Amino acid sequence: MSIVLVGVNHKSAPIDVRERLAFSEDACAASLRELVDGELIREGLIVSTCNRVEILTETTTGQFDDSAERVIQFLAHTGQLPRDFFEANLYKHVDDGAVRHLFRVASSLDSMVVGEPQVLGQVRRAYSIALDAGTAGRVLNRLVHHAFRVAKRVRTETGIGANAVSISYMAVELGKKIFDSLNGKTALLVGAGEMAELSARHLVNAGISRVMVANRTGAAAQELAEAFGGDAVSFDRLSDHLAEADVVICSTGAAEYVVTEAMAREALTKRRNRPSFFIDISVPRNIDPAIGKIPNMFVFDIDDLESVISSNIREREREAERAELIVESEIMQFQQALRALDAGPAIATFRQTLQDIARLEMDRRRAQLGSLTPEQERAIEALLLSTVNRISHPVLSNLRRSYDAGDAETIEAWRDLFGLED
Amino acid sequence: MRSLLLAVLAAYVVAAVHAVLAFINKRRTLLRVSETAMAIGFILHTAALIADWVLYGHYPLFHLRETLSFLAWTLIASYALILYRYRTRALGSFILPLVSVLIFVAIVTRAEPSAEATSMSTTWLFPVHTTLLLFAYAAFFVVFLASIMYLLQERELKLKRFSGIYHRLPSLTTVNEIATSAAAIGVTLLTVGIATGMLWSAARNGPIWQNDPKEIFAALTWSLYILLILYRSSARWRGRRAAWMGVAGFALVLCTFFGARLMGGYHVFG
Repeated sequence: MSIVLVGVNHKSAPIDVRERLAFSEDACAASLRELVDGELIREGLIVSTCNRVEILTETTTGQFDDSAERVIQFLAHTGQLPRDFFEANLYKHVDDGAVRHLFRVASSLDSMVVGEPQVLGQVRRAYSIALDAGTAGRVLNRLVHHAFRVAKRVRTETGIGANAVSISYMAVELGKKIFDSLNGKTALLVGAGEMAELSARHLVNAGISRVMVANRTGAAAQELAEAFGGDAVSFDRLSDHLAEADVVICSTGAAEYVVTEAMAREALTKRRNRPSFFIDISVPRNIDPAIGKIPNMFVFDIDDLESVISSNIREREREAERAELIVESEIMQFQQALRALDAGPAIATFRQTLQDIARLEMDRRRAQLGSLTPEQERAIEALLLSTVNRISHPVLSNLRRSYDAGDAETIEAWRDLFGLED
Repeated sequence: MRSLLLAVLAAYVVAAVHAVLAFINKRRTLLRVSETAMAIGFILHTAALIADWVLYGHYPLFHLRETLSFLAWTLIASYALILYRYRTRALGSFILPLVSVLIFVAIVTRAEPSAEATSMSTTWLFPVHTTLLLFAYAAFFVVFLASIMYLLQERELKLKRFSGIYHRLPSLTTVNEIATSAAAIGVTLLTVGIATGMLWSAARNGPIWQNDPKEIFAALTWSLYILLILYRSSARWRGRRAAWMGVAGFALVLCTFFGARLMGGYHVFG
């Protein structure tokens, strides 16, 4: 058996190629059934997201070129595209290469933002479509489950998904660093921009219990506050509300400082020195950077966030190097698992063993048979071998069935019965 | 008892190496090894202390060798408490190597004759005095570590440049809480420890204040930590300055612990 992967990703192909090759979720199952013919291509799986289209197939050993060719024709056909349009952007991986690629995709090592968690869900979804379409069989089942396992190992054993790589998520990460847990904490949004809203959503998901929104136009504040079950507060009484806020996210269009140093100092006294942090995503800045000098108050403007994010990305890349080692060791384990699935070598050994026995017996008794013509000798050998083959045939076909069913217990029983070694 | 202490050392070294590796590589699987080794080490260590007590006939906290070993034991006990209360593993990567060094020094330090030790241990006040003080030292070491962790992270948050260590340390709130409660426990132990020392001296018809270096340093240490606690309790949160006091306080603790040996005085034994 051979595993073949043909695909494009955000690195190999521009968006206008990817969007033309992409499969909608509804079309996926029908396309899979069309691709998998049960002869050249025995199993198939399509992962189609905005960043990639991957077609994973299982084929007979030695036929991977034909199989890849079939997939390319299939892509051209389903996309109604000339081959030249996308062929140069395709990558082809066979066996270990295909396994490695799938493991890397599932572990988010091949993602645009390394470590982003969505891709695993997308692979999961692709697998369940293939299962429903009946195109995922014993090899792909094993391969995809192994890929899930690798992704889990990578996530728990490396810090690949650990540090925030988006501005909206930085608030959560800083909050956890300062407060340990966001449960019971209060956030104040100054300005009702989209970025503030996104940050607030992350904060609420991370456990923050109260959201206050202050905006110059009360209606927008009211609307945003309602979305989070929070309160709209008066913009004019901002300094009163600062004292209640553990997290302040500021994004207004104001040209001057909305939160001044004096306001922050007053808030700190009212808070009895409890720490708080300010995220200023507005340009020009709305939070006086001098607040950052006050003890127990931390201010991050848009540049600070960007630089932290780029250092976090570098940290993720360092962790990705460790993840690659995990992928390599898992490829070896998968090969072993796959070998156990492959009936060919085991059956060949078994047949050889039986035939060797027949020839050996023939040699032992040869002297007693007296002189024979070469024809007679060949006839006796043919007789012995065909007897052996006739007897072993049902055994071997049962063994093959056990392999196909992945029935390890029965396989083990056969092996024990005939004293076969690996 | 040397062989038992060697086994203790081996267990602590295994625990320390795994804790440090886990800290560097953020591998949780290594922590399990570290904690198992630490638990085994602690059980053997407790057994070694009891065996010493039975074998030499005095409470195993008198000579330098015994003191170092006992101090290591109190550090492990404190760390176990922190693990239980805060589930914070980062301290282990600093406490466990120190404990290993203490045990190593204890092993290579020669055993001393113990006639004096036996005579000192006749009243129960003396062992109580020394035990409480060692636990106080361990608590102050925890304050010190937590304060350092606070300062490092606070600095990086202010500078907005995060190094590898930032991602490996517990949150500001956690280290602040650890430092606050360890300081409170430490001061309580220190107060009772000093009081029992005075009582013991009085019971032997001696003056309650000998005015020797160790006592002077202990008084300074006590005042500083009392100040630290008052300072912390005057507001809900005192970050940086309190952390600096936690660091400075530990310098005084070191002077108290070693100062007496270097400067002589009433508190020099063995």
